[in-house]
Amino acid sequence: MATYAAPVQDLIDALGRLPGVGPKSAQRIAFYLLKVDDEEATKLARAITEAKARIGFCTVCFNLSEGEVCTICSDPERDQSVLCVVEEPRDVVAVERTREFKGRYHVLQGAIDHLQGVGPDQLRIKELLARVGAEQITEVIICTNPNLEGEATSLYLSRVLAVPGLSVTRIASGLPVGGDLEYADELTLGRALEGRRVVENG
Amino acid sequence: MHLQHVWLNDFRSYPSLDVELPAGLTALLGRNGQGKSNVLEAVAYLATLESFRGAPADALVRRGASSAVVRGQVLVDGREQLIEAEINPAGRNRVQVNRQRLQRTRDLVEALRVTVFAPDDLELLKGGPAVRRSYLDKALVLERPAVDSVRSDFEKALRQRNALLKQCKGRLDEAAGLTLDVWDLKLAQAGEELTRLRRDLADRLSPVTTRAYRDVAGETSEVRLVYVSEWHERGLAAALVDSRAADVRRGTTLVGPHRDDLLVLLNDMPSRTHASQGEQRSLALGLRLGVHRLVTSRMGVPPVLLLDDVFSELDPERSVALLAALPQGQTLLSSATELPPGAVADLTLDVTTGRLDPR
Repeated sequence: MATYAAPVQDLIDALGRLPGVGPKSAQRIAFYLLKVDDEEATKLARAITEAKARIGFCTVCFNLSEGEVCTICSDPERDQSVLCVVEEPRDVVAVERTREFKGRYHVLQGAIDHLQGVGPDQLRIKELLARVGAEQITEVIICTNPNLEGEATSLYLSRVLAVPGLSVTRIASGLPVGGDLEYADELTLGRALEGRRVVENG
Repeated sequence: MHLQHVWLNDFRSYPSLDVELPAGLTALLGRNGQGKSNVLEAVAYLATLESFRGAPADALVRRGASSAVVRGQVLVDGREQLIEAEINPAGRNRVQVNRQRLQRTRDLVEALRVTVFAPDDLELLKGGPAVRRSYLDKALVLERPAVDSVRSDFEKALRQRNALLKQCKGRLDEAAGLTLDVWDLKLAQAGEELTRLRRDLADRLSPVTTRAYRDVAGETSEVRLVYVSEWHERGLAAALVDSRAADVRRGTTLVGPHRDDLLVLLNDMPSRTHASQGEQRSLALGLRLGVHRLVTSRMGVPPVLLLDDVFSELDPERSVALLAALPQGQTLLSSATELPPGAVADLTLDVTTGRLDPR
């Protein structure tokens, strides 16, 4: 059986370790990279090194940040009393897109998942508690994913955050806006029914 | 629900097969090892995406072939549904309903439902509690596909809690205790719900199973199904608290629905120890037909009934009684012997080495 030269195999192995990339995709990407102009490949390599060198985690909220403190945490216009707790940096982007939230964030960098060896100690929960103690925070909104791990994390946070004067809320789950009821899956519809509200008239 | 047409490619012993089926009774007759059960297995696969014989995917593919295809056309409520399943032991299985990729296995229930009775079902009475729990859970999904999420939530929470317990290595510090509280709550919620569903099903199954048993056995015995959970009176939340120390020591969850059992009583005596061989066979059939009747009344249409080698399990009188009391709807049965006297099939197929010849 023919094998690849060592550098090619190394490349394939490295790509194969990326999330969502299987052995076949890794091979395809490797061959693509070997075929393109030197310039294109170098551009990718440089983009990776640049990003790794310049981007770290914000020391306050643990979102991705170019400086020591991210742009959101250093923005004086932001409401200092409200904190939105999310699992990953990409969730910050999702909430930001709504333009509804004016407070600041705290990124846990994961959710409790013992099967993956992630307990509360592996998350940025100690740091969250320290912030709640030190900053003038009156409300924490828990925006973890509505799956079992996210719900468990939310429940855990609601317990450790039980301090007087602090309100802890959980985002609601329900139906997508602009959608049709008949296309909603039973679980979502069931949750939406559970979380129903009185219709405000006028 | 009428499975009108079945096509097989490289499934088990069949390089290819194309067979039309009537709405009533189809009998597949032939000596052992000719491929009768394989046809039933293929039909059940279309509805459940698994082998009722517990065979792995690679056993379903004909030797020498790389993948197998099972296709079936079903008439449901006047609409034709085409189900196509490709079995790829090396890669991903593909399933389409009306040429649309299937999102979730349980959505198949809308297109095709089957009730299977196979010789292995004697395990329902002789086997361990896991067999009976799985019997209940599968029946629940057949009745209401959405409740599958209750079982899967419970199992996920259980896996998480067990992983945490294992990581504790026998000692529980304060932080781990707090996390354990969270999983206890999640486990108790899902576990109570799952148990409520199972218990309710067991209650509803008792009368229909009794009727099915009487039809087959030709006597007036009473079958009662009792769902047994040792923790039930205390509630799961309290039971988990009681069991916590032991759970930590053993590194696993010792109490909950995953340890429950279904007791099958015949005239108020445990059938496992008190019923005769023949009674147990009739009971196993009764349990399957009970679910069949329940699903029929819930859905308004009977599932397709698959009876694998059923006469080898029953004496001649019981065989005749079974056929006389066969529920409405489509039935496929396989047998190594001729049908009992008096029974008429709508279609009789002689099965010889992978060939089906209509009589």
